[in-house]
This record gives sequence, structure tokens and C-alpha cells, in this order.
Amino acid sequence: MRKAASLLTIWLAGVILAVVYLIPPAEGLGYFVRIAFFHIPVAWVSVLAFLVSAAAAGLHLRTREYKYDCMSACSAQLGVCFCLLATISGAVFAKLTWGAYWNWDPRQTTVFVLLLIYGAYLALRSAIEDEERRAAISAVYALLSFLTVPFLVFIIPRMYFSLHPEPVLNSAGKVAMEPVMLYVLLAAVGGVTALYCLLLSQSVAKAGERPEKELSI
Amino acid sequence: MARVPLLSSNAVWAVFTKEAVCESRTKYAVGALVMFALTALSSVSLAIAGVSLAPELAAALLWIVLFFCAMAGLARVFVQEQEAGTLLGLRLYATGQAVFWGKLLFNLVLLLGLTGIVAPLFTVFFGIEIWYWLPFVIVLLLGCVGMAAVATLTAAMVMYAQGKHAIFTVLTFPVLLPQFLSAINLTAKILSEDMPELSELMFMAGYDAAVVAAGILLFDYLWQE
Amino acid sequence: MDIRIVVDNIGKSFGEKRLFSNVFAEIAGGQCLTVTGCNGSGKSTLLKIIAGLVRPTAGQVKLILDNRLCPKERIYYMGLVAPEVSMYLALTGIENIIFWTKMRGISCSKVEAENFCRQMGLGKSGCDLVATYSTGMRQRLKLAVIKAINPPIWLLDEPSSNLDEGGKELVKELIFAAVAQKAAVMLATNESEEVMYGKSTITL
Repeated sequence: MRKAASLLTIWLAGVILAVVYLIPPAEGLGYFVRIAFFHIPVAWVSVLAFLVSAAAAGLHLRTREYKYDCMSACSAQLGVCFCLLATISGAVFAKLTWGAYWNWDPRQTTVFVLLLIYGAYLALRSAIEDEERRAAISAVYALLSFLTVPFLVFIIPRMYFSLHPEPVLNSAGKVAMEPVMLYVLLAAVGGVTALYCLLLSQSVAKAGERPEKELSI
Repeated sequence: MARVPLLSSNAVWAVFTKEAVCESRTKYAVGALVMFALTALSSVSLAIAGVSLAPELAAALLWIVLFFCAMAGLARVFVQEQEAGTLLGLRLYATGQAVFWGKLLFNLVLLLGLTGIVAPLFTVFFGIEIWYWLPFVIVLLLGCVGMAAVATLTAAMVMYAQGKHAIFTVLTFPVLLPQFLSAINLTAKILSEDMPELSELMFMAGYDAAVVAAGILLFDYLWQE
Repeated sequence: MDIRIVVDNIGKSFGEKRLFSNVFAEIAGGQCLTVTGCNGSGKSTLLKIIAGLVRPTAGQVKLILDNRLCPKERIYYMGLVAPEVSMYLALTGIENIIFWTKMRGISCSKVEAENFCRQMGLGKSGCDLVATYSTGMRQRLKLAVIKAINPPIWLLDEPSSNLDEGGKELVKELIFAAVAQKAAVMLATNESEEVMYGKSTITL
């Protein structure tokens, strides 16, 4: 575990250095494109955490084992943090490039709804005391909300484009990516994903050690 | 002496009539719903004093009122069972599927009845002309089915939670959001004298089917220990 | 139908607090088993675990029908009378009986429901809303419901609570009639006379 942590730290440090020194300013964005190297990995992980949470919930319902419920909850807690970071970094990026913090473009809306789902899931968990019930009910909610996300992904672009003009820029992905940018981005995504996995396994292990009485997630 | 009861329309109908009879005798939910709708619509209408609303705004207002009416009244089907002490008996004697379908149908009928009051009032208060009645009714119907289905499921989730009513809204909104947005979008189209496309209506129907299917699969996990 | 319930090493804990553990019992059709224990010992919880309403922390409950192990839906063979199982206050006594029997897929006409009410001493009150009933009358209605459903397994949690002498006699008749019909009866009680109804006793 320690070895993995130190390896990861070195990797992420390398990514940060690459972003600061290697990435040339992008067209029209200038140095602001660097925020995208933080925003995109973090947004990706917040979606991944949701997938993991929903999958663990499904496994819990099938097997009724607490470790899956634990994984689902831990993933959701990490996911909400990453999601907050993604929302804030996205809003800052939007302000710097388009002049407004929030304008309901499809990606912002999706991240916002993800935040709502995480919030609802965690609120539900904290509202039920009995452990078995809490595990089963929150698992059902995780699956139900997972089911509706594809619908959301379909409807939002339609709504947005019917009500708003085409945005100037969706993300740095639309900008012609030089290979250097692409590699650094992939490295960043990989690094942050590994960070998420490390944090997840640590929190699941920690939750497993504590006696059940103190488990309040 | 006894046999394992399969899901029968008898049982579903029994749950539905029981809900209807209890509600008609206590008028627990209906009063709250109608009062909320009246208050919301009349206060906005008074405040804007005859100025016409943009179609998107009017559509959003209509669905917001329906949504909050649903939040005020649809949790009752499970929360009241829990509070009155009849939940244990129901879990013992009834199958999960019968309870789910019976309560879903009741919530749907309640919501449709409410919509039948709210929609005409809405057109009256805001001076709105609806050219395409049939699509409007279809959108209302599909939206209500979605709301009733999601609300029934989330009501079953908050049965055992603290602060049931607050968390009921918090849980329902993100799950219902795609249908909510579709409904507002299509209603705005209709109010702008534009016909909604068939694919958009199919999308709403698809959402309803997906949520009801999810309910059938997941409800037993909420119902049984 | 040959019924046997096997309670195999059942334990229940709520978080850190252990309610009971290592409970063994076996009840066959035509037998009555009583469960006694002081307040808070978990008699009601044990009955609910056997019914299938609550999951045990340890052990399992098996229902064996005609020497075949019954699948997990044993709940549909159970009937329970308990303080936590209430009737619908907005319905009449007769409507309650008709509703509960219909949920179990048992046909019960209005006349039959009226009969059950009368047999349990409710008389004409069957047509009144349960909200107007006294606690004793509500208890009698609960007993009327389980009599109407007539399940293979009867779980009775303090069935004589709130009842007068006449009511207690009715409970005794009800239990003996069920036993005579080869139903398995489990009775949780603190009343010393009722403890005698059972062939064997468990104390929690």
C-alpha cells in the first residue's frame, strides 16, 4: 500500500510538472487550458465512482454481503468530493473562457445532476439507522438513479440546443489536440483514477476494521 | 389450508380500493394537494397581473406545481402505513408486487385527478390557448405516469427513514429529472404552437417503461427483509 | 398437509446489543409451543423472525411441508397476531377482514366476515369504523382476521392483551381449535394460564 502511494505521488508530480512546463498554450484558451488537465480527470473519476457505487450496490442486493455495501458507500463519498471538484473547476474554466460561471451547458448539467444524486444517496444513508435496511434501501436507490442517467444524457443536449445557441467550446477535447497534450491528459486521467482506487481501497479497509457501532456512513 | 398467493389482479385491485376508500374517508392527501395547487397558481397569476408568460416559463410553472403537489401527497401511501402500524400486517399478508402495483395505480389516479384540476386552472389563470389538445394530454399523461412511478418507489424507500418528507423530495428529484425536463420541453413546444415529435413522446414513454420495470425488479428488495 | 417448523440456532442482535442467541425449537402441526420470558427478552422479535418479517443475525428457520423443505416464501403460510400488527382505522371491521383475506387469496364474503366478527364477540360493531373501537375490540378484530385467514402456522404474541375474561376464553378456544385442525401454533405470553396451553415451552 505504501509503495503504491509513493509511486502514485511521483506519477502525479510528474503529470503536474508536464502540465506546467510541457503544455503549450492552446488556441483561444491560452494558459487556461491547464485547468482542463485537472477538470477532465476529476470529472471522469466522479462518473467512475458512480459506476462503481452502483455496481457494488447491485452486488450487495444479490449477495447481501456488507463488504459491497461498504464499497458502495465509500465510493459515493469519494465520488461526491471528486464531483464537487469537477463542478468547481468546470465553473472556473467556464468563467475564464466564456465569461459566466454557469450556463447549463450539457456537461455542466450532467455534473450537476450527478452531484444531486450523490447528495441524495448520502442523505438517504444518514437518515436510516438500521444497518441492514440502510444497505438494502440505499442500494436500490443507487441502482434506480443509475438507470435514469442514460435518459438524462440523451435529453439534456436536446434541451440545451433547443434553448441556447451552440456553445463556442465544449471542452478542450474539441480543440485540435497536439499529441503532447493528449498524452499528458491520458497520464493525468490515469493518475487520478489510480488515486481514486487507492483512496477507495484504503477507506473500505478502514471501515472494515472499525466495529459496526461506529460505522456511520 | 393456505396456498402461496401469486400476483393476482384481485390483490392489486384490493390494495387500490383500500387506498381509495381510506383516502375518501380521511381526505388526508387530497386536501393538501388541491390547496397547494390553488395557492401556487393563484398567487403567481395575481402577481403577474395579466402579463402573458413566455411558453417556457409557463410550461416550467405548470410542471413545478405538479411536481410539488406530487411531493406533498404521494408519499402518503407508504408513510401512513408505517405510522399507523399497518405496514407489518401488509408485509405479512400481501405480496410485494401486489402492494407495488396497487399503490402505484392509486398514486397515478390521484395525480391524474389533480392534473385534471390543475391543467384547466392553469389555462384559465394565465390566459393560455392550447391548439394541440391531444399531444398536450399525452404529455401530461406520460409525465404523470413517470412521477407516480418514481414517487411510489422513493416513498417505499423513505418509510424507515428519519425526516421522511424532506428526504422524499431530495430522493425523487434527481431520478425524475429526465422526465421532468422532457415534459417541460414538450409542453413549451405545445404552448409555442409547435407539435412535439413522435420520437420525443416515445422517449417519455421509454422512461416510464424503464422506471416501472425497475420498480418491478427492485421493489421486493425494499419490501422484504 | 404435514407441517413442521424447525428453528435452528437463531440469534438476534441489534448492533452491539445481543437480544438472544442459540434458540432451538421444533413445532409440528397440531402442536402448541409457548414462549415465555421477561419484558424485553425478545419474544415478539422471535415470532417475527419465525414469520419471516425480520432477518435473524444467526441461524435459520426452516419450514418443512410434507417432508420437503419449503422455499423462502414461508411467510405466506404464517399468520401473526401482535400488538404491532394494526388494523386499518379508516375501514370497518368487516372491510378489514375482507381486505386481509383477499391479500392472501382467500375468498371471504361479507356474510362470512360478519360471522367471524360475531364469533369473536364484536356483534354489530363489524359495520363500524375501527377508529371507533376500544383496544379490546381491536384485539378481537385481529383474532377474527387470523381466524378468517386460517393459516397453517399461527403466531400469537400476547393474544389476550386488552381482553376481558370472555375474550380470554375466546383465545383459548381459538388456540385449541387451531391445534385440532393440525395447525402449528406458537404463543408468546406472560400469563401463567396461557403458558399451560402449550405442550412445551421455551424461555428466553
